[in-house]
Amino acid sequence: MPAILIRRLATAIPTLFAVVLLSFLLMRVAPGSPFDSERPLDPAIRAAMERAYGLDQPLPVQLGRYLANIATGDFGPSLVYKDFTVSKLIAQGLPVSLQLGGLALLLAALLGVGGGIAGALRPGGWIDRSVSVASSLAVALPSFVTGPVLALVFALWLAWLPVSGLGGPSSLVLPVIALALPVAGAVARLTRTGLAAALAQDHVRTARARGIAPVRVIVRHALPPALIPVVSYLGPAAAGLLTGAVVIETVFGLPGLGRYFVQGALNRDYPLVMGVVILYAGLILLFNLIADLLYGWLDPRVRG
Amino acid sequence: MRAAAVTLAAIALLALLLPLVLPWGHADIDWNAVRAPAFTPGHPLGTDSVGRDLLVRVAVGTRITLAVALAAALVALVVGVAWGAVAGWIGGRVDEAMMRVVDALYALPFMFVVIVLMVVFGRSVLLVFLGIGAVEWLTMARVVRAQVMTLKQRPFVLASEAAGARGPAILTRHILPNTAAAAIAYLMLTVPQVVMVESFLSFLGLGVQEPLTSLGILVHDGADDMDIAPLALAVPCFVLVALVVALNRIGEGLRERMAA
Repeated sequence: MPAILIRRLATAIPTLFAVVLLSFLLMRVAPGSPFDSERPLDPAIRAAMERAYGLDQPLPVQLGRYLANIATGDFGPSLVYKDFTVSKLIAQGLPVSLQLGGLALLLAALLGVGGGIAGALRPGGWIDRSVSVASSLAVALPSFVTGPVLALVFALWLAWLPVSGLGGPSSLVLPVIALALPVAGAVARLTRTGLAAALAQDHVRTARARGIAPVRVIVRHALPPALIPVVSYLGPAAAGLLTGAVVIETVFGLPGLGRYFVQGALNRDYPLVMGVVILYAGLILLFNLIADLLYGWLDPRVRG
Repeated sequence: MRAAAVTLAAIALLALLLPLVLPWGHADIDWNAVRAPAFTPGHPLGTDSVGRDLLVRVAVGTRITLAVALAAALVALVVGVAWGAVAGWIGGRVDEAMMRVVDALYALPFMFVVIVLMVVFGRSVLLVFLGIGAVEWLTMARVVRAQVMTLKQRPFVLASEAAGARGPAILTRHILPNTAAAAIAYLMLTVPQVVMVESFLSFLGLGVQEPLTSLGILVHDGADDMDIAPLALAVPCFVLVALVVALNRIGEGLRERMAA
């Protein structure tokens, strides 16, 4: 396993570096400046502000300093939230986002794997057909549609749950559901196809012939190979959850990373946007890495 | 697939024709009917918070969304076909290097790359579709490359090579026309993805800008007013979902037909 880990890290680290480099260069060629305002700024003041933020140095020096700072977890000052560093904003938003994303991932896995198993047990049965319809609908509905619609029905009309804001577990119910739905749909599809194929394999037939209890056959023998495509979907799922969270946090007014990201993008808060993008890229690469490790656990042939 | 094609045609026709028939433009304000409820005479779906007719806005928004989607999908088609064809045709190390680039780009959180592009270069419709097209070409490149690799071995290609035709000529005359079927099938699958990305960006305020409108903006505005005017949320949501589902159906149908 270490070999595969090293091989993956060897591509993950340059990718992360490319993300940093790309976003750094893009931000520097961007027209306009964070110091632009309604009235032209006095050149002396502008020069002083550029010096304060280190923007008067040559590009390679700026890049080097930025990289060194990132390595210590310092993403620089936010240009818009004047009293905050980007790291402080991330530290505030990350727990909310992790909670939201973690719960959504858990719900998606439970719903998706459960639905997929239920469907694969009786191919063509009514459960199978309803799971299939539900999952294709869940995949096609973007989170910026499900979010407001769920809020309208369950928060405004039925008044079961709060519309927005963060306060207690009930305020997370709708966001988690809205975020989990598309991932759950995709997981259900993958599990359904994978399990149907696994159930037709020789080792499963043998296990059945030996009289092993049906539940045990599925859990021990058929499910692990069937879950391999699901695990390889983990990377894209993480990306999907992160992008979904950007919308969901905006819709439900949750003070997470995604909201800071959108605010930063709308306000051209370069350091904030870069910090969040680098963090997101790192998270997605991490999830891909976890997926690779899970492969070895599920499929003995990869362990080698 | 027929139902999907009819749905798509109906949505596209309504989006094209309604703005020509209706008396209001998408940015016209009816001062006498601000926040009019649905079924008000003259405003079948009512008006929004500044008195703009909702029906015409949905039609124009659908138009913009479709136009952006088509344009971005074409950008993806051109870049993807060029990249994939060159990689597949040359093969060897060049192929390896070019496909590595594709793999690396796959690992990027592309939605965030588009957002960064929007932040950097300002928010304009032109950039929205260039940006989306620039990140949606990856799968197209893979599809076309695989096609080119198999076509390269086919007798008619070998024959024209033996007859002394030059590489670029073979590529453009014999190979690319034969990849067209797969490329078009995949193009149809790219369009709904682009529709989603565009609506996502516009929903966040990072895509199409007012006074222009798009389905994403309409969903966003509808969500703001959903307690007073649920239709303002429901109608654009419905059109968007119907559009995406229909496009996906058609794309998948085409792909199956190509594979068969």
